Amino acid sequence: MFESMAFDSVSEFLQMGKYTFHVWSVYALFAVFLTVNLYLPLARRRQFIREQQRRALRDSQANQSPDGDDGRSDANGGSE
Amino acid sequence: MWQWFFRLGSPKWFYELSGRWLPWLYVAMTVLLSIGVIWALLFVPQDYQQGDTIRIMYVHVPVASISLACFPLMAVAGVITLVWKMKLADMVAMCAAPIGAWFTAVALATGAIWGQPIWGTWWAWDARLTSMLIQFFLLIGVIALRSAIESPDAAARACALLSIVGAINVPIIKYSVEWWNTLHQPASNFAMDNESPFGPEIWVPLVIMICAVYLFFVISLILSTRNEILVRERRSQWVVDLIAAQKPQGA
Repeated sequence: MFESMAFDSVSEFLQMGKYTFHVWSVYALFAVFLTVNLYLPLARRRQFIREQQRRALRDSQANQSPDGDDGRSDANGGSE
Repeated sequence: MWQWFFRLGSPKWFYELSGRWLPWLYVAMTVLLSIGVIWALLFVPQDYQQGDTIRIMYVHVPVASISLACFPLMAVAGVITLVWKMKLADMVAMCAAPIGAWFTAVALATGAIWGQPIWGTWWAWDARLTSMLIQFFLLIGVIALRSAIESPDAAARACALLSIVGAINVPIIKYSVEWWNTLHQPASNFAMDNESPFGPEIWVPLVIMICAVYLFFVISLILSTRNEILVRERRSQWVVDLIAAQKPQGA
């Protein structure tokens, strides 16, 4: 398996021939792209749940029914 | 007969189904991405002309080709929104636009970094490059249109129309390298035999990377669609119950 590697040494691998900057900047950009697009929706989800939990707590302390308890906006028939 | 179709359009149903799929999608993406990146960086032989810049292809080609899937997806979702007024289709279309803009921007950036040593220029007003730039601006246009219209229903209809019209650009991008003879090379013909310059040792890792990046697109689309479902359905009982069942999130 290791004979089929394109590089003979670690430094050769890190250097990428004449194209150190080009190859590694593309892979760095790719890594940032993947991380950001997976992290942001998860962070947004956590924040939304936190906000809704605070709101539910506030509503229950004010001794009111939770926000919008009356209606199901799930008009497409999501009932089980 | 149409029952399954409208069940598919139920945000709650989609939320529960996608929640069961996500772990498997994560595993598949991680495995394919690890194999693909290690293969592309370590084992693909240097190109006799391009040297190690051939490794840029394994990021650029998957990202660029999947960026083309975005507008057709938004157009189909747009038709469903206009004809059947299915809320889920509009949510998917809404979440696909920024993801598609990211993909298009990364495709343009990696293309520029690849073009600099190979073509001697970061940018040229070549047919493929220009039509990709137009796709980027169209996606920014869809996002801006959504935020410019206050009524959600009107915004959904306007964005659906713009997505259907904007999808015309996709075949232009796809065939630009054949219709106009400019800088960007046409798609390569890959061969099964090892003698060809594009043998399996070149295209197998490319196929793996395309599958991995496709999974990444699907995962990020599912994640933001699930968020959008929670936000829009926050008043319905199943979301209220779901939020109550979550562990309290630290401040």
